[in-house]
Amino acid sequence: MNRILRKLFSNASSLVGIALLFIFIIIAILAPLIAPPLSEDPYQIPRMSWDIAPQSPGFLMSDNIRDIYTVMGIEIKWNKAICGTAEGGYDIFYGLIWGTRTAFRIGLITVAIAALIGVFIGSISAYFGGWIDEIIMRITDIFLSFPFLVAAMVLTTILGRGLDKVMIALIVFGWMGYARLIRGSILSAKEETYVMAAKALGVKDIKIIWKHLLPNTIFPVMVQGTMNIGSMVITAAALSFLGVGAPVGYADWGQMVSFARNWIIGSPGYAGQYWYAVFYPGIFIVLFVLAWNLIGDTLRDILDPRLRGEL
Amino acid sequence: MENKEKLLLEIKDLKTHFFTEDGVVKAVDGVDFEVYQGETLGIVGESGCGKSVTAFSILRLLDYPGKTVGGEVIFKGENLLKKTEDEMRGIRGKEIAIIFQEPMTALNPVLTVGFQISEALMMHFKIGKKEAINKSVELLKKVEIPMPEERANEYPHQLSGGMRQRAMIAMAMSCDPILLIADEPTTALDVTIQAQILDLMMALLREFNGSLIMITHDLGVIAEIADRIAIMYAGKVVEYADKKTIFHNPLHPYTLGLLTSIPRLDVEMKRLDVIPGIVPNPLHFPSGCKFNPRCRFATDRCKKEEPSLIKIEEGHLVRCWNVDKVVKEVKKGFLVGV
Repeated sequence: MNRILRKLFSNASSLVGIALLFIFIIIAILAPLIAPPLSEDPYQIPRMSWDIAPQSPGFLMSDNIRDIYTVMGIEIKWNKAICGTAEGGYDIFYGLIWGTRTAFRIGLITVAIAALIGVFIGSISAYFGGWIDEIIMRITDIFLSFPFLVAAMVLTTILGRGLDKVMIALIVFGWMGYARLIRGSILSAKEETYVMAAKALGVKDIKIIWKHLLPNTIFPVMVQGTMNIGSMVITAAALSFLGVGAPVGYADWGQMVSFARNWIIGSPGYAGQYWYAVFYPGIFIVLFVLAWNLIGDTLRDILDPRLRGEL
Repeated sequence: MENKEKLLLEIKDLKTHFFTEDGVVKAVDGVDFEVYQGETLGIVGESGCGKSVTAFSILRLLDYPGKTVGGEVIFKGENLLKKTEDEMRGIRGKEIAIIFQEPMTALNPVLTVGFQISEALMMHFKIGKKEAINKSVELLKKVEIPMPEERANEYPHQLSGGMRQRAMIAMAMSCDPILLIADEPTTALDVTIQAQILDLMMALLREFNGSLIMITHDLGVIAEIADRIAIMYAGKVVEYADKKTIFHNPLHPYTLGLLTSIPRLDVEMKRLDVIPGIVPNPLHFPSGCKFNPRCRFATDRCKKEEPSLIKIEEGHLVRCWNVDKVVKEVKKGFLVGV
């Protein structure tokens, strides 16, 4: 474990990944300090104006909005849209900061649950083999035959709007890779003598899988999972962009890119007029995914026995 | 040996086949033997003759495509092949334990030695983790591993080959099994360590009058420790008798071949006798007696009919049509110093 950490910190690209991830973690933790919420639900992006068109960075909260807050007796802790506003006057800076939490939640929860399901199904399938394996793997194949994004979109549409629905859809169509991966590793590991030795001592099947097989086979799943955190966030953003993801006004990077959809081309003669509407959420998504991929790459290099020179 | 001893294990016509894509491999196809309390049975044969599969079949350790399709394994009066998986789990490790050939691969590389020993203890005796760890340190001490407290916290790759095999023995002996199956326990070790490991195993077994099934192709080891010997060829027991009889009055041509191919120091020999040919492919066994293509006594009958295991005298069974020819050959002057 120490060796893994040492390598993670001695590799330039993984250092970049770690640094980026660290920044994102800080942002997520300190979100209430960096961008104090103005309403009860901190994930609701406050609006700075009722204007349809995005407002450029430095825009101050419009008077009519200020009046509403005053009437409701809410203290206006800040009134400047540092990064401008998106379509409908939603504050971009606030959305970015609180969207970081959303990104972590989507990435970590979906990958954790999908990996858990995949590992469970895959290890059962591989360990018991025979017709159990056959049935489970054919079901996996059926799930794999759906194009991921389309399947997730359809399921989210059926389930209704909301981030939890997005996550359910991502999990339902995201576990198969892990199942196949762990199945392959366990199929080869279960032929090892130590498995038979444990069985000969009377160890229960479930304990053999948990204590003897998984510790020997879980690393590829960890690498895959790390890399997948980024792509899960991208897919969730894509769903939000397509309008089936987070509810309107929810702090979510994908939705913020979606707000920019009508303004990407700018105005006649000035293509870059609304650059901030697409640039800021876009760059956050890119950097977040990049961070996980860099870490995943390094993890793979460290844990791959072929690259490690052991095979 | 006299039958006044308690019969512990009786194998009757055991058949374990592997159902592969290329056809049915009859790895074990008619194995009979008995093990008495406190006695050592040696199972001898070439690689691939079904020795290990016999051992795994006793404990029902084989998974698909391997399947025990016939016979009985009667342990303490009960047929193990009819027991449920749960009942078997209670017997594995507690009543019958097994030591594997390769101590390198039989220990899990990611778990500490102490954990692997204590696992069986916790399961069979329903004791806590701390107690189990203490007991496994004791066991490591018993198998003469130096600094057992520290070794218990180490991983298998930190131990030497001999130490790993000692740890395996500690694992197998942890629940004081009444029957120990040792599947070529010393093959992977160098000669000086071999003797130590054998001595250790025998000493531990003697403590509670346990029985041993010693699987090996090393006749020297067998001559040292076995009471009774079963010679296996191509999935069948071809000769079964006590040690003295096997070494002095072998009745099967294969046994004779094995004995004459031992290098000897006491007699001047130009060339070592060998058994011609190789072990037949288990997918295409010859018809009749499976040993007939390699047998110098083979007749036409051997090619057509398969002999059954016949009792020649009390406690001496052999599977051959030409016992009389072998007897003549043995009388001509064959002797192995035991």
